[in-house]
Amino acid sequence: MRKHWLIGGLAGVFALAGLAFVQGGGSQGGEGAEGPVESGQPIAFPHNQHAGSEPGQNNMDCQFCHFSAERSVDAGIPSVATCWGCHIAIPGTNNPQEVAKIQGYMERDEPIPWVRIYKISDHAHFPHMRHINAGLECQQCHGEVQEMEVLEKADEWWTPAKELFFGQDPVWGGDNMGWCVECHREPDENGEQQASTDCAVCHY
Amino acid sequence: MTDGIKRRDFLKVLGVTGAGATLTGCSEPERLLPYVVAPEEITPGVATWYTTVCDGCSAQCGMWVRTREGRAVKVEGNPNHPVSRGGLCSKGHATLQHLYNPDRFHGPMIREGDRLRQGTWDEAEQQLAAQIGAIGNVMFIGGRVGPSMSNLIDQFVTAIDGTRVQYDAVSDAPLLEAARIAYGEPGLPSYDVGNARLLLSFGNDFIETGSSPVAHNKGLAQMSSVDAAGSKGRFVYLGPRLSTTGLNADEWIPIRPGSEAAVALGMASVIAGDAGAAGPYADVLRSYSPATAAQAAGVSEDAIRELAERFGSDSPTLAMGPSAGGHHRNATAANVAVMILNDVAGNVGRTVHYDANVTAAASAYADMESAVSAMAAGQVGVAMVHGTNPAYSMPAASGFAEAFAQASFKVSFASAMDETAALADLILPDRHFLEAWGDSMPRQGVMALQQPVMQAVPHFDSKQAGDVLLAASAHLGNDLGSATFYEFMRAGHMEMHDASMGDFEVGWRQALREGAVEHEVAATATTQLQAPDVALSFDTPALDQGGDLTLLVHPSPRFGGGEFSNSPWLQELPDPVSKITWHSWLEMNGNTAEQRGIREGDIVTVTSPHGSVDVPVWIYPGIREDAVALAMGGGHTDMGRWANESGVNALGLLPSESEQPSGAMVTLATTVSVTPTGERRRIATIEGSKGDQHDRPIAPAVALADLGHAEEDEEGHGELQELQGVGGFVPVPGDGGAATAFPLEGAQHGPYAESHEIPRWAMAIDLDKCTGCSACVTACQAENNVPWVGEDQIVMGRDMNWVRIERYYEQIDATQAGDLDVRMLPMICQHCGNAPCEPVCPVFATYHTPEGVNAQIYNRCVGTRYCANNCPYKVRVFNWYRYTDENVPDPMNWQWNPDVTVRTNGIMEKCSFCMQRIREVENRAALEDGRGIRDGEIVPACEQSCPAEAIVFGNIRDENSRVSQVVSSERTYRVLDEILNTQPAVHYLKKVTFHEVATGGHE
Repeated sequence: MRKHWLIGGLAGVFALAGLAFVQGGGSQGGEGAEGPVESGQPIAFPHNQHAGSEPGQNNMDCQFCHFSAERSVDAGIPSVATCWGCHIAIPGTNNPQEVAKIQGYMERDEPIPWVRIYKISDHAHFPHMRHINAGLECQQCHGEVQEMEVLEKADEWWTPAKELFFGQDPVWGGDNMGWCVECHREPDENGEQQASTDCAVCHY
Repeated sequence: MTDGIKRRDFLKVLGVTGAGATLTGCSEPERLLPYVVAPEEITPGVATWYTTVCDGCSAQCGMWVRTREGRAVKVEGNPNHPVSRGGLCSKGHATLQHLYNPDRFHGPMIREGDRLRQGTWDEAEQQLAAQIGAIGNVMFIGGRVGPSMSNLIDQFVTAIDGTRVQYDAVSDAPLLEAARIAYGEPGLPSYDVGNARLLLSFGNDFIETGSSPVAHNKGLAQMSSVDAAGSKGRFVYLGPRLSTTGLNADEWIPIRPGSEAAVALGMASVIAGDAGAAGPYADVLRSYSPATAAQAAGVSEDAIRELAERFGSDSPTLAMGPSAGGHHRNATAANVAVMILNDVAGNVGRTVHYDANVTAAASAYADMESAVSAMAAGQVGVAMVHGTNPAYSMPAASGFAEAFAQASFKVSFASAMDETAALADLILPDRHFLEAWGDSMPRQGVMALQQPVMQAVPHFDSKQAGDVLLAASAHLGNDLGSATFYEFMRAGHMEMHDASMGDFEVGWRQALREGAVEHEVAATATTQLQAPDVALSFDTPALDQGGDLTLLVHPSPRFGGGEFSNSPWLQELPDPVSKITWHSWLEMNGNTAEQRGIREGDIVTVTSPHGSVDVPVWIYPGIREDAVALAMGGGHTDMGRWANESGVNALGLLPSESEQPSGAMVTLATTVSVTPTGERRRIATIEGSKGDQHDRPIAPAVALADLGHAEEDEEGHGELQELQGVGGFVPVPGDGGAATAFPLEGAQHGPYAESHEIPRWAMAIDLDKCTGCSACVTACQAENNVPWVGEDQIVMGRDMNWVRIERYYEQIDATQAGDLDVRMLPMICQHCGNAPCEPVCPVFATYHTPEGVNAQIYNRCVGTRYCANNCPYKVRVFNWYRYTDENVPDPMNWQWNPDVTVRTNGIMEKCSFCMQRIREVENRAALEDGRGIRDGEIVPACEQSCPAEAIVFGNIRDENSRVSQVVSSERTYRVLDEILNTQPAVHYLKKVTFHEVATGGHE
């Protein structure tokens, strides 16, 4: 009984440390001129505003910014100058303070330190151009990005809980080989496997 | 448990704190950094290639550099370069490591007291100009540079009334001087090795050194190949020691060191006969004969006479005189003698051209001796050193370091610390050639451009030396006309350009893209021998007496004269002759060692009148019993973390002496005594069996006379029993032997169904062409992120190179002239159809792909190492200690190929047939409307680099592919296949010998 205050105290310290870490981890999402935004990204870039097809949204093609997807293993992310190319004249109506951050990066000749959302492990080599060439839509793997304001990884440890309790579809199969193999194994209209499941196709 | 905490409470608390702790899951997330402004020529994930010229040595091979996202990741040969034609040697590959070498200076260094501190460029350049202006008496000591830089240095030095001295550690000065004496030509001759029917090398190690190792390597391979008429060029090596070059000869005449002139003249006298050929040397020839030659050389008279007769009657032939490893006190005369031999045999204008003006390292050591005297006498105010390291590469007996200290102000342009820079007062780090502009003229009529392939590596604040000189010159009031070296170089080229060559800018861009431009040069008429204008002695020169064994100091095939020693790739590259890594060794004949009670690994003290070194002994049948050999390049004291403490400096045993009349450094100068110290060490070698095949069918050969009369297929291989593809272990009978039988009926299910439509990758390696140069080893290491493990691990047998060159002695005799048969075999993963490694992996990390490649899936491997245990070829290497973290300091990891996984510890790896290159081509073909892959489109790194073009890779299912045609040769065999039935995808073509080889059985 006497020692419960000690145990409780230690538990409290750990919990506080844990919370501090979370806060710290969140704020490590990059520093813009005024600090990171809630999503952890340096600028609150809304994919839906740029790529969405709702009225008032800009309906841009994915490959306008992610330009190397059809030529390269890498999809590429837009250079700061690509953003600035439009935003030099477009202050934006929803979040002009976020748009203004771009100017800061251009002037400081500093790349925007985006937090990476979609990643496949280094021991697998994923060629974007082969998949685009095969007719896949970006959304098939990356989800309905054009409807998302904030991109989220789906392979966090709490994703199964979200699926189970809230019925949310995972955005992206993530670092999960099964996701890739499932599609590769699918038979095409001739009943043949539509893509190779030879290990060495991706792992070399 | 009375008043203590209850168990349930404890568990509750544990649960809460545990949950709290998991909230700490976040750590720094991975970032994606875009360009601020995307460069037009870079597509992320796609390589951009640039053409340039390798500045590693004087050969100046053409180079293609693969860059990814603005970083150079691989260098390869440029197939369009008229001299090197696509090959690149190990040193060339290793220049990429020098680019990212963490030992490079981070900025200019300024001396304060006894230490060097980093300064700014403004400060440094001001100091340079100030000191030159105040002190004057500038001496510019430089190594070989391209024509524009040489021009600039001349102008710079002239404008400030200074002097210029050129010095290269490894030089062809005796050959240069001999060409001047014999033919009045100002440049080195060019050799057409490929067309010679009989090639004699008088100690010329043309695969390792000289004006173009890559081109001559290619020529030797070409010459050695059996032509359509069924004949083959013969290569005879005359010299006291077999270098890598020598090991490829068909005959070895182990002549005494220094006797080349006597032998050449003895032979020439036979060929010239009474006809009085050899012009002004006819008198000289009269006093030479095979008998005098035999006496000087210590070999039989008949051998020399017989060789002479063949040399005179075969056509065309070619003889090459001694190179840097054999520069004795009469080296110029020896080269003149060989020129006389070529002349009487009618080779001039056919296989040897004196008007080619090959430019190569040809500096005179004698000039450095004068420079040292001038410095010691206090006559030098400002000493500037560029592109050379005399404090290391001149023998200690020269007194360079002490004299250099006498100069009032010492400047070095070294980009990384070396022994000379360590003595300097001011260091202005030069750019690496991959970050800089330049040009090169390997021979007359060929002009090549060197361009930067990336921005200067940002870790190192370096400046191109040409820019620094121009700025300093301007500061001192001598405007040389351009602000940057780039402008200076272009201005120079514009001056040489005339309107008939077309538009300059168009021509310039084309030259940058293709690498070199070649234009016709009118042949000069000088093919007549001239009377010598200096005294020449053709006698075997005297040697300093230090003992009873002649010391042969020679350039290292890996380090040259020591410039390349700070590269871990090269340190770990097994020496092509000895297969030793990291440390020095003394080559000694086995009989000699036995007589003295010396065993391999004994550390001996080698003493000459000029110094002594302690070095372990390595037993070598390829050296005369009265000689020992020591390679240059070891014993650095101040060159960086990999060079320092590695080996011994052979130059410490040599006198400081220049040969007359060429002025070259004398390397064959002394005899030594060898005394055991009583200590031993384990040799860091990758070789297991000391060059003995132990009667196994590893590297058989076939005699030229037996070609075309192959016996009916020796006992059939019996029923082909090949393991079924994916884990069903049922042997299925096949139709006997054919590689294309895989995969067999019954092995096609699941993803392997329909696999008869897809390619089956295979490789063919022609052992008659392979010279053992080991360029493929470094090329593979560079391409595949293969780690280096260090000397201790090599001693334990944990080397990690994916390719090794096996060297087997079948016939080698150091006591008399005779046939030589040494077999070189590049051993890689054989990608066996019946792989012994595949069934034993407990986690299926290695398996056979439908395309015929034995794949290794790194992330699946758990490190059982059973596969390596089972592999009969021992080509699987295991990563014991990771080797890829602090062993690869920033920015060396910039070199890593992003298309290849970097492996961590606990993982097995091996040759993958450059799977990343196969995928790259497959991807490209798929994008180009799903076209098929063209033959020759996939070129693994080893094939690309091979100067001898010995390796061919391709689809063996396509009967029109080059690899299918090559393996249809009667010389084709597969290693150990007949006794193990492993069905390798790698085919070898037997070496062809002139002497008889026992047929049947295993030879």
